[in-house]
Amino acid sequence: MTYRVAMDIGGTFTDVVAYDENTGTFEAAKSPTTPRDLTRGMLSAIDKVVENAGEISFFVHGTTQGLNALLERKGSKVLLLSTQGMRDVYHIARGNRDRMFDLHYRKQQPLVQRADTTEVRGRLNWKGEELEPLDEAAVVAVAEQVKCGSFDAVAVALLFSYLNPAHELRVGQILRQELPADIMVVLSHEVAREWREYERTSTAVLEAYTGPVVRKYLSKVQEKFSAAGMDVPVQVMQSSGGVVNASFAREHPLQTLLSGPVGGTAGGAAVAGLLNLKNAICVDMGGTSFDVSLVLDGKPDISHEGDADGFPLLTPLVKLHTIGAGGGSLAYAEAGGLRVGPESSGATPGPACYGNGGTRATVTDANCLLGRVDPTWFAGGSLQLDVDAATSAIGSLAAELNLDPVDLAGGIVDVANAKMAQAIRTLTVEHGLEPQEFTFIAFGGAGPMHAEAIAQELGIREVVIPRFPGAFSAWGMIGSNVRRDFVHPFFIQGELLDQDSMVDELKALGRRAGSALEDQGIGPAHHEFEYSVQMRYQGQDYALTVPLTAADEPAEEDFLQTICHRFGELHESRYGHSTPDAGVEFVSLRVSGRGLLPAMTPKPFEPVAEAVGKRSQRVIFQSRSWDAAVLRREELPVGETVEGPAVIVEGTSTTVISPSSRARVDENGFLIIEVGAK
Amino acid sequence: MPNPIETEIIRCALLQAAEDMNTTLIRSAYTPTIYEAKDCAVALLDREHRVLGQSSGLPIFLGNLEECTRATERLYGRDVWQPGDVWVLNDSYIGGSHLNDVTIYAPIFNDSGESEPQLLGFAASRAHWIDMGSKDPGGSMDSTSIYQEGLRLGPVLVEKGGQPCRDVLELISRNVRFPEPTLGDLRAQIACSRIGAARLREIVERWGLDTIDAASAEIFEQTATLERNAIAAIPDGIYCAEGLLDNDGIVLDVPLPVRVAVAVSGDQISIDLSDSADQTLGPVNCGAAQAVSACRVAYKLLVSGDIPLNGGSFGPLDVVLREGSMFAAVEPAACQYYYSHLGLLIDLVIKALAEALPLRVAAASYGDSLITQFTGVDPRTDKAFVSQEATVGGWGAWHDSDGESCLINNVNGSLRDMPVEVLETLFPVRVNHYGIRQDSGGAGKHRGGNGVIREYTFEAEQHLSLWWERSKTPAWGLFGGKPGLPPQVLLNPGTASEQSILKANAVSVRKGDVLRCESGGGGGYGVPNERDQASVDLDVAQGLISAESSARYGA
Repeated sequence: MTYRVAMDIGGTFTDVVAYDENTGTFEAAKSPTTPRDLTRGMLSAIDKVVENAGEISFFVHGTTQGLNALLERKGSKVLLLSTQGMRDVYHIARGNRDRMFDLHYRKQQPLVQRADTTEVRGRLNWKGEELEPLDEAAVVAVAEQVKCGSFDAVAVALLFSYLNPAHELRVGQILRQELPADIMVVLSHEVAREWREYERTSTAVLEAYTGPVVRKYLSKVQEKFSAAGMDVPVQVMQSSGGVVNASFAREHPLQTLLSGPVGGTAGGAAVAGLLNLKNAICVDMGGTSFDVSLVLDGKPDISHEGDADGFPLLTPLVKLHTIGAGGGSLAYAEAGGLRVGPESSGATPGPACYGNGGTRATVTDANCLLGRVDPTWFAGGSLQLDVDAATSAIGSLAAELNLDPVDLAGGIVDVANAKMAQAIRTLTVEHGLEPQEFTFIAFGGAGPMHAEAIAQELGIREVVIPRFPGAFSAWGMIGSNVRRDFVHPFFIQGELLDQDSMVDELKALGRRAGSALEDQGIGPAHHEFEYSVQMRYQGQDYALTVPLTAADEPAEEDFLQTICHRFGELHESRYGHSTPDAGVEFVSLRVSGRGLLPAMTPKPFEPVAEAVGKRSQRVIFQSRSWDAAVLRREELPVGETVEGPAVIVEGTSTTVISPSSRARVDENGFLIIEVGAK
Repeated sequence: MPNPIETEIIRCALLQAAEDMNTTLIRSAYTPTIYEAKDCAVALLDREHRVLGQSSGLPIFLGNLEECTRATERLYGRDVWQPGDVWVLNDSYIGGSHLNDVTIYAPIFNDSGESEPQLLGFAASRAHWIDMGSKDPGGSMDSTSIYQEGLRLGPVLVEKGGQPCRDVLELISRNVRFPEPTLGDLRAQIACSRIGAARLREIVERWGLDTIDAASAEIFEQTATLERNAIAAIPDGIYCAEGLLDNDGIVLDVPLPVRVAVAVSGDQISIDLSDSADQTLGPVNCGAAQAVSACRVAYKLLVSGDIPLNGGSFGPLDVVLREGSMFAAVEPAACQYYYSHLGLLIDLVIKALAEALPLRVAAASYGDSLITQFTGVDPRTDKAFVSQEATVGGWGAWHDSDGESCLINNVNGSLRDMPVEVLETLFPVRVNHYGIRQDSGGAGKHRGGNGVIREYTFEAEQHLSLWWERSKTPAWGLFGGKPGLPPQVLLNPGTASEQSILKANAVSVRKGDVLRCESGGGGGYGVPNERDQASVDLDVAQGLISAESSARYGA
């Protein structure tokens, strides 16, 4: 039992990273994704990095099954059950528009059609007290409707269930009694114990819509793995950046919705830990999109709500900000001006230089013209770039704009970089921080190519290109710990707080988290708990999560004063102001239980024996042609310094270093670029 | 002369500067009206008051923040601008909207060291303050002069040379009902100006003022070219439309005509509103700047939705107004509901151009914010409360789609409805029903969207105020499409004391009284019997239309 394996299953490729516990070394590979039966692609990826699959001791992966079912609208048939009078809450969807000047505005098509929504009598009030009892006979009739209508799942979202779940629990009991076991029943308070009925309903519907697909998928993976002699439990990455086992994920499939991309942020946090960084910007740039996320105080920036394809989601998830910029972003002329993106050449035809019939200029074509890629060894030599096609695409746009083609190519890259830099700045401004306070971690196929230039634009001094930048999400998962989150509502105004009951509830939450971790096979010695309380000023709608030092901190005499102060500071840093004398209220208690996996002790990075060696090619920076070294990354030893201009190529990515910067290889094998150091 | 690459990088940087201002304002605001409903807008202007970058959560704030800096300069001369100063203004006759909409603006100077500081431009933001000290909390529904509507500030300094003007802050805090959050929002707007100033200074330092000037001239010209081309594609002609606003909230039996005449000639377009009603006794008036903004919204919806907004925008658009009309009101006209006639105006401009742009237009929407307000003392807490809600409704259909149901009106955008769980927790009311209003959308080849039904039971005695509009001119259809249903509000429906009301100011209601509010639907597009049977059947199956009303689609 010697390997830890992590895998990120993308739309086109399945990335895999393996850590050999005996030798302390990592290996990465890629294999085509096999959409009809993902396990085929998964097993062949494993074959590339592990000799005997039976020797895998830990397996974690990021799955986009749920997300794909959502994006392609291929989820299950869901019946939505609401409180009498409220069946349309889900369809009204709060009524706001996110495009201001569109006469032809349509909301996102709901996942449940209106004919499949129904109501049941039974009402609670704002304190969770029963005003009208639940109509149990009606619930039995709903079960009949589910059976007759061949539904796969039922989402139950009743008013005020976050305060008092009794009605929802009883509905769940009746439905589970009446329905076959393969029909999923989702109760809104179990997926999101928070107020705001539309958002909670949407969360329950998302779970019901994607859940059955994810369940089937996970069962199949486990089955195929066993058949292949792998008895290792299948673990899944959660949207919140922690790992859970498949049997938990089957019960709570929604928590894995953003499983794939989150690995990058988890990796960012791991890099931050290795290098002792406080704040980091994680940038994942691929062909069509550019995802930015933050690591703050060494931890992924997690939000307790977000959205998935326009549908709100009240579960913890890493905050990812996506903009339409990538290697495939199109450059074009508009009224005599130059524009770059957000429109993309997509997977087909892709950039002109891919030689698949694309004729319009893209960012990748511009990089190609500038010599910033190695056309003979792009994507690990799997793709031969057609420089002539790139030249002709850029050339015709240059003629239209009356520019020199090389200047235009530089300009396209500069505009793309400027836009990405601005998107990053907006994200940090939201936290009241300037980008200079961060280290830049770049990955994805195109991230390392643009990283130094973007950092330059933002005034950032240090860029980290981790190992396996093209498979970084997988690398990020391999070191992630198990994580289980629990929430308990705790509504009380600050001055009325019963400190002992808060401690009791926190301890109860801690016990739940502890036993959940034991269910995951992790003994108490390896548990870590982070307690927090959600608070707001009286009258505010939204709450902030305020950390506690321990479950019994609220027992301390001056707790109220301490926690108000802490809340005020957090409010100040998040919103730029606080009101020290204003009354506060508590909303809920949270615990995040982490199960620590045995630490990895990788050996210092060792380069492969020199094989190809150093070459050079002409590269354009600031409209000047430079003689730049072209190096293979895996040949660079620890401690090696590379002076710009240089192009460092590897299997899945290319790192560009301008004449004003230099890079060195650290003991982890990371490239550390000192921006503007020359 | 910058090349297209520099110009584009500068253009993106200016847009991003405006985005950063917006992010800062929303992040720092105290009240949910700003951080949640986004009832605010920001603009970065050059020293000639032209827009370099703008961001808005509210369509109706489009492109008129510069009126505030212009008016200040007209009043006090160009030398009035001094480094470190911040100004405030909410005068309805300058900014155009109600007194709650407060604009904060600051001149931006370079840090030139030894030489005289040079004016680079302005950073401005407008945000809705929850109370300005009007005769009723939050704002009145029956004001008849601006003097009842609260504190009115002309161009006044709130910071001088970087220091707060304490006397002015005292003046404000002694005239509003909730000084703490109000001054909090003021500080958020000042923080927003500071970010705008810092960003513009950085951009000028990096590129030089001459390059920025040349680049912005080029950026404006790009937008102007795109807009002129779009206007030139509209057939020349004079296009008219008219509709009626129900009343001014005071004189309830006199409807108010809104008449638009749109003249298109070559690459120019003019919108003439001078035949519309005189300014009214009740609060449905606006200053000229806001009427211009509404015309710009209509223009943007029809011809320039994707064209970047900047100092080159709206060049081809001329708006003709008559002073003393409801679209160019003068002192002492009340302006609290400055937008009801603007919503109708926007829909009418679209209607006027229907024949000319059949593929761009849409049938009319339900049309107004439909405000429902409860005030009183909550017996659960013994504290005074104000609950104010806008209502969603149906939008019009267009050439290849049904209209959307239950969507906020055209002058609003980011505004969200109030969750039942939040409403019942904060105020002594219960919501019995919140759902789609079946059959309220107009029939048509493409059907208008449905309105909404929201029914409350009062859990304590309190006061009810309503501002519900568009019953005289409900959402019309186009090209044979039928109109949507008008709005309807019933107090104690189905009882002997049933009462139908659309406008009310602080009417007493008792514990147990029921209020049923039904918003209008959108208009249909194309004749109903051209609708394919499968779509009719689907609508019946989904309960969007009743089985009986499906007969309206019969051949």
